[in-house]
Amino acid sequence: MWLCADRQFPAAEALVSQLHREQFSRVEDNPVNIRVIDWIWHIRGRLALAPGHTGNEAFDRLDPLFRQAGTSHERTDDALSFMKKDSAAQDKMSVFDRGAFRIESEVTGPVLHYHLTSRALLFCFLAPLLFISIAQFTVVTNKWDKAHHESHEKPVIAPMHPIDRALGAPVPDTPEADGSGAEGDAKRPSPTPAYVFAGIFAALYVAGRILEHRLVKALFRKRLLAV
Amino acid sequence: MDGIRVGKRVIGAQSPVTVGWENIPSVQGGPVRRFIFTWFQPTMLFTLITFWYYAPNSIAKASIAIWVGFGLNTLLLGLEWVNPRYASWQLTWKELATDLFYVGLAYTLLHVVGYYIGSDAVADAIQRHFHRDKVMWFTGLPILAQAFLIVLIFEFGQYWMHRGMHNWYPLWLPHSVHHYITQLNINKGAVGNPVELFLIGLGIGGFYDFLPRAAVIAGAIKLATGTYQHINVRFNSPRWWRFLFTTTEHHSLHHSQDYEATRSNYAGSFIFIDRIFGTCVDGEAELLGMEGGRRMSIREQMTFPLTEGWKALKERFGRPSAVPAQ
Repeated sequence: MWLCADRQFPAAEALVSQLHREQFSRVEDNPVNIRVIDWIWHIRGRLALAPGHTGNEAFDRLDPLFRQAGTSHERTDDALSFMKKDSAAQDKMSVFDRGAFRIESEVTGPVLHYHLTSRALLFCFLAPLLFISIAQFTVVTNKWDKAHHESHEKPVIAPMHPIDRALGAPVPDTPEADGSGAEGDAKRPSPTPAYVFAGIFAALYVAGRILEHRLVKALFRKRLLAV
Repeated sequence: MDGIRVGKRVIGAQSPVTVGWENIPSVQGGPVRRFIFTWFQPTMLFTLITFWYYAPNSIAKASIAIWVGFGLNTLLLGLEWVNPRYASWQLTWKELATDLFYVGLAYTLLHVVGYYIGSDAVADAIQRHFHRDKVMWFTGLPILAQAFLIVLIFEFGQYWMHRGMHNWYPLWLPHSVHHYITQLNINKGAVGNPVELFLIGLGIGGFYDFLPRAAVIAGAIKLATGTYQHINVRFNSPRWWRFLFTTTEHHSLHHSQDYEATRSNYAGSFIFIDRIFGTCVDGEAELLGMEGGRRMSIREQMTFPLTEGWKALKERFGRPSAVPAQ
């Protein structure tokens, strides 16, 4: 068994072994079947190896992916597990926190099975709920502010400067004195940005869930099948 | 590394930097491409100022300005895709999602907090307590002069707040986490601790009475100049532009892993403020961040100022630990 621990993880061996068992535990072993929902942040897949390639050869080709800052991994002849903490933005697998690989011999030849987890995907899935909560918080505070708002004296606006008049700038509107009117509402924070960001994160999650699986599969394919 | 002498300082002794405009590469390619990336920045500035100067009153509002800013940011994200400055700064899905989280916090929760305890709210409270009106005669000035004054007042304050953050430990604590970014992308300006984002947004503009349109134009000037601080695009900025305004080059040097380089280029939009106070270095850097480029998670960005502050307090005021007799 080969263990390559990043200097940040001196005691990674036991943790990575446990990770490997968890990642490939069978569905019937789990008392509560979370596989109904864990697809949200778990990515599973398989990739056929080139004929004649052994597990060792396959993992040798993937090895550089796990020699990044913040990454530790453990490897046997037909299995590999890794963990990442604070991985660099330039790390091609930075979106994943942990994962496990297994080589199985099938009728068609050796096949690499991979199981990767990503907290970034999970948090992106949950982010719309956060922003909707913030929107509701904004609505509540606005109601409170409206009820407690004091009226101010009507501000005096000086006449338009001759340069602005000559250049044809629009004449400014006269502001309202009472801030509880339309102008007061316009100054209060709006819940709209929070709803917009909730929508952005929902779209971002869908895009990321599809894209990251495709990208990582393409990365593995490029490394494993390169001549 | 020997570093490069700039005035009385040595820049680049700890991490590689490039100093001097003559050493910085320019945009390559055909005449159309070079024209676009030379004149993009001045054109956007002139267009935005003209748009907001002549827009009908029904449009010249902060809510519309937010959508314009969103549109410009999206365009610049696209520019990062077609003309990236560095491959090592190219945006991934995870970085985009993380950056947008911070941007989202700034536009929502921080905005609500700022409305109730930000500098404008404090200015209002002080004026009501002392029964003072705002300084009224500003509304009689030309609109563009008002807009420029708003930006200048804010920039001056932001320069000194930023410089203070790099020189005084209690202010450095919330700001330090922002310097853990290892890339400059369009939304990376929002990455940081919310306390720092709140502090850096404080200004004394609330004591002056400006026309709302002037405030919107001021926001547009800030958008069209300060946006390029954190962007992975190479421009051939005209000489006058990079003399007056903060460029990506300036700000990348400020974010460099070299300590002395980080003590330069504090201004957000008006680099001439750095020139006035002797903290400007014309140059750029690719290797950014702290602690050798370690990435900081969202959780640590939020807690680091508190945990480090606690450690510092314990070291300073805590009971000394027992030392074995020698």
